[in-house]
Amino acid sequence: MDIINFKNFSWKYSGYRGWTLHNINISIKKGEFIGIIGKIGSGRTTFCSSMLGLVPHFYPGIMEGEIIIDGVNVKETSISELSSHVGLAFQSPANQLTGAGTTIEEELAFGLQNLGVPYEEMNKRIKDMLKLIGLEKFGKRSPFELSGGQQQKVAIASVLIMNPNVLVLDEPTSQLDPLGTEQVFDMVKKLSKKGITIIMSTNNINYLSKFADRIVLFDNAIIKVDTPNKILTDIELLKKHSLTHSDITEVSIRLKKMGLYKGELLVNLEDLKKVVQGLIK
Amino acid sequence: MSLIEIKNLFFEYKEGIKVLKNINLFLSKSEVVAIIGQNGSGKTTLVKHFNGLLRPTKGEIIINDETTIKKSVAELSHTCGYVFQNPDDQIFNSVVEDEVAFGPTNMGIKGIELKVRVDEALKTVGLFEEKKKHPLDLDLNQKKLVAIASIVAMNPELIILDEPTTGQDHAGLIKVETLINELRKTHTVVIISHDMNLVARVADRVIMMCNGEIIFDGSPKEAFTKNDLMKKTYLKPPIITELAQSIKGFRKDILTVDEFMEELIRLRKNKK
Repeated sequence: MDIINFKNFSWKYSGYRGWTLHNINISIKKGEFIGIIGKIGSGRTTFCSSMLGLVPHFYPGIMEGEIIIDGVNVKETSISELSSHVGLAFQSPANQLTGAGTTIEEELAFGLQNLGVPYEEMNKRIKDMLKLIGLEKFGKRSPFELSGGQQQKVAIASVLIMNPNVLVLDEPTSQLDPLGTEQVFDMVKKLSKKGITIIMSTNNINYLSKFADRIVLFDNAIIKVDTPNKILTDIELLKKHSLTHSDITEVSIRLKKMGLYKGELLVNLEDLKKVVQGLIK
Repeated sequence: MSLIEIKNLFFEYKEGIKVLKNINLFLSKSEVVAIIGQNGSGKTTLVKHFNGLLRPTKGEIIINDETTIKKSVAELSHTCGYVFQNPDDQIFNSVVEDEVAFGPTNMGIKGIELKVRVDEALKTVGLFEEKKKHPLDLDLNQKKLVAIASIVAMNPELIILDEPTTGQDHAGLIKVETLINELRKTHTVVIISHDMNLVARVADRVIMMCNGEIIFDGSPKEAFTKNDLMKKTYLKPPIITELAQSIKGFRKDILTVDEFMEELIRLRKNKK
């Protein structure tokens, strides 16, 4: 079943000459994990913003076409109503954390209080959420005493606690240390397994190759949609759109040139490891 | 020869909360030093002491054999230029070349010399053609380069780049890397980064921080084999290093695809 449907969607910001997004058509199934890649200025953030209705409701501009998410039409639905269907997590946890709460529990309660969720229900949701992100023991701490990776997890949790069916993440790990990045990807994978639809914009192709079901390459339009292996090993395509392939793929290219390997180009560390182990046994 | 010497540096934001604990460090002229470590480990706090943006609670910073205690940020900025992580925190002029001219103008440089410095700095970062533009009309890659150019134009001996590749795409990464290799010819460069590929490719020396302390100071090759230390401060080596370390028989200090292939060929020869 499709949970997200973009039909001939185009967007132009007021005061800009060109279309930031042009004629976007894509259907996404419930529970899919979609990776969004593209160079700076390719419209990825605008695409992410459109799912929560920031485009067209918050930013002025011209919209064409239609976006249907979780049964509702974005153009006809307010941002606050959309936020119970779609959660959007930003690049920097600092932009997300309200600072309204002095503890993590209060931070997580913020959105629920605004919705008028009863106290008992709220407490239960907060407990479950802290368990999910592995911060059960930190509920009474200030979010600002956490590491960057932990803060980002709290920021994502503050969105998730509204029970959205779709979680959109815009470069959620670009400011995080490498293990913080891994933690965020592991958590998102867990959510995906629980049936939440994930849309994640990131150029961290090493992780996307492991976790995403499909990859969408953006360059002010959708250039290509395919499996991680197909897109992330298409070195000419990546190069054309100012992206690059992983070192894992590079090794598999060189092995092929040397005649040591005959299969498809690789993007996953575990796959390459097996091939290399076979070569030195 | 030492450019910066740090002796027993302690720093507390609030009384009792130690952000930096007993830092001792020498930075030599013309090296590229990467400071790595988890979010909140004290990397930015440490480098902000180099140009006086922060002052030590205890300890001393000596630059070119002179103590910096009585020097102003303006004076110190002649020697140590700090490029902010987010270019929007730094850029405030409405024309690119005015932005780049701001620092040297404040140093009292004017006329032809000012023009030459600004043009050279813009050429160094590859934005000479963009010099009449509004910085807000540039993309994030380019804005970051404007922020770097405005520091380069002041010609400090030390240039500090705080997370120079965050949010950049591949084209941006290549530009930053090329730029660091250009700057290293004439400057000492300190980078703060979570991008271990960048660190592996450009750094001569790695300083690893954890909870306000330096827990490692040495070559990138050695740093990425210290798995226990790396883990303690939330780091992981580049993926090619991770791959090599996961295969029995491979050297553990491989940093590039070229080195990986050489090692593979060597192991295959040994097999025969």
